[in-house]
Amino acid sequence: MGRVITVTSGKGGVGKTTTTANLGTALAMGGARVAVVDADIGLRNLDIVMGLENRIVFDLVDVIEGRARLKQALIKDKRFPDLCLLPAAQTRDKDAVSHDDMVALTNQLRAEFDYVLIDSPAGIESGFRNAIAGADEVLIVTTPEVSAVRDADRIIGLTEAFEKGHPRLVLNRVKTRMMKAGEMMSIEDVLQILAIDLVGVVPDDEMIVTSTNRGEVAVMDKSSRAGKAFVDIARRVRGEQVPFMALDEGGGVFDRLFGMFGRRPRGSER
Amino acid sequence: MQQLIAIKGGRGGLRLQLDESVPWEDLLVALQQQLGQGSSFFNGAQITVDVGERALDQAQLDGLLALMQEHGLKPDSLASSARESRAAARSAGVAARPLVRGIAEAEERGEALFHARTVRSGQLIRHHGNVTILGDVNAGGEIIAGGSVIVWGHVRGVVHAGALGDRNCIIGALHLVPTQLRIADLIGRQPDKAADKMPEVARVESGAIVVEPWEAFKK
Repeated sequence: MGRVITVTSGKGGVGKTTTTANLGTALAMGGARVAVVDADIGLRNLDIVMGLENRIVFDLVDVIEGRARLKQALIKDKRFPDLCLLPAAQTRDKDAVSHDDMVALTNQLRAEFDYVLIDSPAGIESGFRNAIAGADEVLIVTTPEVSAVRDADRIIGLTEAFEKGHPRLVLNRVKTRMMKAGEMMSIEDVLQILAIDLVGVVPDDEMIVTSTNRGEVAVMDKSSRAGKAFVDIARRVRGEQVPFMALDEGGGVFDRLFGMFGRRPRGSER
Repeated sequence: MQQLIAIKGGRGGLRLQLDESVPWEDLLVALQQQLGQGSSFFNGAQITVDVGERALDQAQLDGLLALMQEHGLKPDSLASSARESRAAARSAGVAARPLVRGIAEAEERGEALFHARTVRSGQLIRHHGNVTILGDVNAGGEIIAGGSVIVWGHVRGVVHAGALGDRNCIIGALHLVPTQLRIADLIGRQPDKAADKMPEVARVESGAIVVEPWEAFKK
């Protein structure tokens, strides 16, 4: 049985879709069977980021309404045979899907794949609620900005209310230079407010814009620093212990981070 | 003065319990006073008015609704064991239900609320008594308490103590950097300088909210 992981954020434009595409590809590169699902009905774009737009025949709503079987709607990524995309419908809206539909769909996918990644729409309304309906765990994406962190906090509260366990955090678009200059919230600041486990820190990388536009995900580019960060996140999702990469030569921030937030066994050393 | 009005917070919202034995006019005066002191406690809450065994006629009920309306409140339902009261409520468009005393008593148990997790953005804790939070109150989160509030953690959001009008209530926290503090009818805002990282207590002194270190307060 596979794990269903929803990638969400509250605020729009912080990198949910980029994270889903890269994490999914990285997990597939590691040999896992992966399905990525675009749950943003009506604002489809995971297919664009993954370069699969021109191969869509059926979509998620077609499957739910019985016009296509799941197998027909899943698009195989030619570069990675174990990676599949279930695209969103573009001509429908959120109301085309119900909570129970999503639970049934994720259960079907879970039987076929090791990982099912669901790209959630922004917001806290039905689209978001449907996206986490079938989730076993939740990844929260945020950037180190006050508004994005505030929305992430709201979303964490909601995922806790829906009893989705402890969500984990992807801190995206980190600008080391600005953080060091104190012009931006630091990683510690964000973690102190949100108080959840960190699963990855992704450096700000202009190459993401070009790779996204071309439909080539960053993890395929060995020289991409953001790509490397997503590969590390994939390994942590698989349960490996991976040290956080130093974002600068000094690396001091992350050494201290580990001291503060690394999981320590409590009371077991007596 | 005898307590004519009791306010109880429960799962289904707030319950406004009105004494069933004193003359109705006296009760309205007491209610007028209570609402004048702390109507913000009720803002946005589901309110049930509990008149007990008292039989209200249409005019009395209309008077009650008008008084609450003055303070921007509208009850969601009326609970009474008297059939007349329930009929009056229904014809005024307020849901009516028979009185279930057992539930009311269960709600009274434990005057303080202990909440052992962080209050996040968008979450609201409302309680008629004292409140203790084990965790932070994040920006965008809100506590509204009839009594005092102690937060074993950071306060970054909004805390309202003494929301029913009691200026003797306090707000204490390990680290007090709130968006806003309110005690009874007073509002205080954090000065724009960085706060000291020490436990602090906010209280009312000569008509204003003051914040002082816990070490000073306890003397």
